[in-house]
Amino acid sequence: MDHVENILSLKGVSKSFPGVKALDNVDFSVRKGEVHALAGENGAGKSTLMKILSGSYRKDEGTVEFDGRKVEVRSPKDAENLGLSIIYQELNIFQGLTVAENIYVGRQPKKNGVVDWKKMYTDAEKLFDELHIKLDVRKKVRGLSIAQQQMIEIAKAVSAHAKLVIMDEPTSSLATHETKLLFEIINRLRDNGVAIIFITHRLDEIFEISDRVTVMRDGCSIGTCDTGDITKAELITMMIGREMTKQFPVRHAVIGEELLRLDNISDGKKVKGVSFAVARGEVLGFAGLVGAGRTETMRMVFGADKRRTGKIFINGKEIRIRSPKDSVKNKIAFVTENRKEEGLLLAKSVRQNIVMAALSKIRTKYLLNYKKEQEYSKKYIEDMNISTPSENKQVMFLSGGNQQKVVVAKWLMSDSEVIILDEPTRGIDVGAKHEIYELINQLAEAGKAIIVVSSDMEEILGISDRILVMYEGEITGEVKREEFSQHIISEYQIGGKRS
Amino acid sequence: MKKVKDIINAFGIWAILLVLFLFLSITSGNTFLTSSNLINMVRQICVNGVVAIGATFVICSGEFDLSSGSMAALAGCGSAMLTVNYGMNTGLAILIAILAGSAIDALVGLIVTKLKVPAFIATLGMMYVLDGLVLLMTRGTPIIGLPDNYVAIGRGYAGPIPYLVIILLIIVFIAAFVFRYLEFGRNVSAVGENATASRLAGVNVTLVKVGAFAIGGALSALGGIMLMARLSSGQPTAASDVGLTAMAAVFVGGTSVTNSQGAAFKTLAGALFIGMINNGLNLLEVNAYWQKIVLGIIIVGAIALDVYRTSKAAQNG
Repeated sequence: MDHVENILSLKGVSKSFPGVKALDNVDFSVRKGEVHALAGENGAGKSTLMKILSGSYRKDEGTVEFDGRKVEVRSPKDAENLGLSIIYQELNIFQGLTVAENIYVGRQPKKNGVVDWKKMYTDAEKLFDELHIKLDVRKKVRGLSIAQQQMIEIAKAVSAHAKLVIMDEPTSSLATHETKLLFEIINRLRDNGVAIIFITHRLDEIFEISDRVTVMRDGCSIGTCDTGDITKAELITMMIGREMTKQFPVRHAVIGEELLRLDNISDGKKVKGVSFAVARGEVLGFAGLVGAGRTETMRMVFGADKRRTGKIFINGKEIRIRSPKDSVKNKIAFVTENRKEEGLLLAKSVRQNIVMAALSKIRTKYLLNYKKEQEYSKKYIEDMNISTPSENKQVMFLSGGNQQKVVVAKWLMSDSEVIILDEPTRGIDVGAKHEIYELINQLAEAGKAIIVVSSDMEEILGISDRILVMYEGEITGEVKREEFSQHIISEYQIGGKRS
Repeated sequence: MKKVKDIINAFGIWAILLVLFLFLSITSGNTFLTSSNLINMVRQICVNGVVAIGATFVICSGEFDLSSGSMAALAGCGSAMLTVNYGMNTGLAILIAILAGSAIDALVGLIVTKLKVPAFIATLGMMYVLDGLVLLMTRGTPIIGLPDNYVAIGRGYAGPIPYLVIILLIIVFIAAFVFRYLEFGRNVSAVGENATASRLAGVNVTLVKVGAFAIGGALSALGGIMLMARLSSGQPTAASDVGLTAMAAVFVGGTSVTNSQGAAFKTLAGALFIGMINNGLNLLEVNAYWQKIVLGIIIVGAIALDVYRTSKAAQNG
């Protein structure tokens, strides 16, 4: 009886990459008209599974049944023809086209061989009415919010008669009210009998929206439960395979002398006279809304952008920083928020990435010494527990958490003393987050000065010794550990002064 | 089958080169596999090979240079005129030509990095400027009467080995050494793949790119000198093909910004491959005009194959 209700049923699906078994005999089924959450850490195999369903990867073994028939998905086109739509994190939207054109791209209604624009617009309007989406279908996409663009993708899936829609972290860049709107639409799709696979890192959302949840870990399907029958703690235990003792590990660092001090830094635009200091062994948090000028401030400290005014001191002595080269020399490190674009050479090996900021350490006289390079990279892979088949593996094949560790390893290799981390856990799953927090603790315990910029309130409260809050380019408040509260920080974030 | 694939993946262009070599040895009767033909063939690729090594640095740094053929003409004719018209010592004339080539391309590098003019535009413009300079200097007529020691570079032999081949091999080994053992070489491939990440890791991106252009200019100039020496005269238009063929050698060899490992040897193989195709078509008495068509197809085919292999690798991890 069970198989009749299933829209999708995977049996014994496996997929190997050299050195890694990405999927190991996975069983997974989705019922018609349910919202099925797929949870698991980065590298658990969720994206590999999705890529097999979308036809981007071929499975090595196993069977896929869709709507009661055995199918082979060879290309994204196959998936679409079956009635399987995937909405990726990076949306597939043409910015220069109108909303309606985006919905019907590649399958525009035609009359006498030319595009029937009138029908396209009326069809699109009808579709949006059905889904209760309010959006002008004649409008160009450029300038629409991410949430609105997502609605277009959903409408596209519906218009292609999708029976199963897969959404890969659809809420990661949405504000709270936008998420609510998305959930309303998901509920409407469910009522119409469309099944939805919902991938997310936010556990609260799993409980809010899904009927059932499947947890994956290390390429295996750990189990499927009705969401009503499980607690958050149980879910976390399933995901990481052990009980999480504490989200934010205890730190035993001693706060020492002042290491870095900024005096009246500004860029003439987004940063207006910022001054602060951070000491050895201290973790200084930077809170604020997106666009408050935190990243811009850090980029100036690091020399990535030019500053108009201001002085930078290390150990009380003024230093000259005009480019990242100067800051690397002064042992300042910057872990950027976009590791793929700004932190890594994705096509190069783990080894090359680890040593790239400290080539002088692997030199004997003028020549690079491969033995030294290998020794160093192996040491950091081991010390930091970077999961990679070898030091020669290209970084692009590592999971997000491990890539982040490679970035940090690069800065440890260059003997950095001040380490600036900008959104260090963005797009990283629960288990890897915990490891990054532990790493921050170790660095502080080793006497380094740490600056963490984060928009995650829980995180910034959990790991900082002291928090500075920025609003419109200025520091509006300083909060000490004893006084930490979400309320005070929120107040400062919108420019409020302490009452 | 998997074994064969692994070998081709590991040796890439070299495996293909070997297949071509065997094919020509068998099909051409006994004309291909003779020492005189082989030496002749290798002599012909030397100019292209040297210029291509320069292009390898530029391409690995994430840019490219359309003007290297014009630079070769300028340096070749310029050094020829210095010796013939002004009676300058050959060594000094060559040194000046190479330094000038290096300085001019360093300037191009500055235009690309500091003024942010795309390399395509900057080097296209430079190509016209250099072409004009050559014609102005020579009035479009060949410079004849090169000193013997100049001509010897292109025509002399050390035992059975032409000087040209020795120069090419020295350049290839130096380039391979720079890529593997010098900080500069490492930084060239880092900057080429991701200039932002390199800058944020403390690499001086401007210096690296200008350096790559300067090497490209110096080797273009050297290639031009070798060419004129081989022709025993300063020919203003003889180098017109050199720049593009050099880039073809780099691409056919399989070097790109994401795949810069072993770039110098890959480029040597690419140059050999192109030389062998031309030589083979000559021996098989194929019309010379066909050679260009074949080369064009090979360039596109090589890149298509490379892209296909990369996407396959991404699928299989």
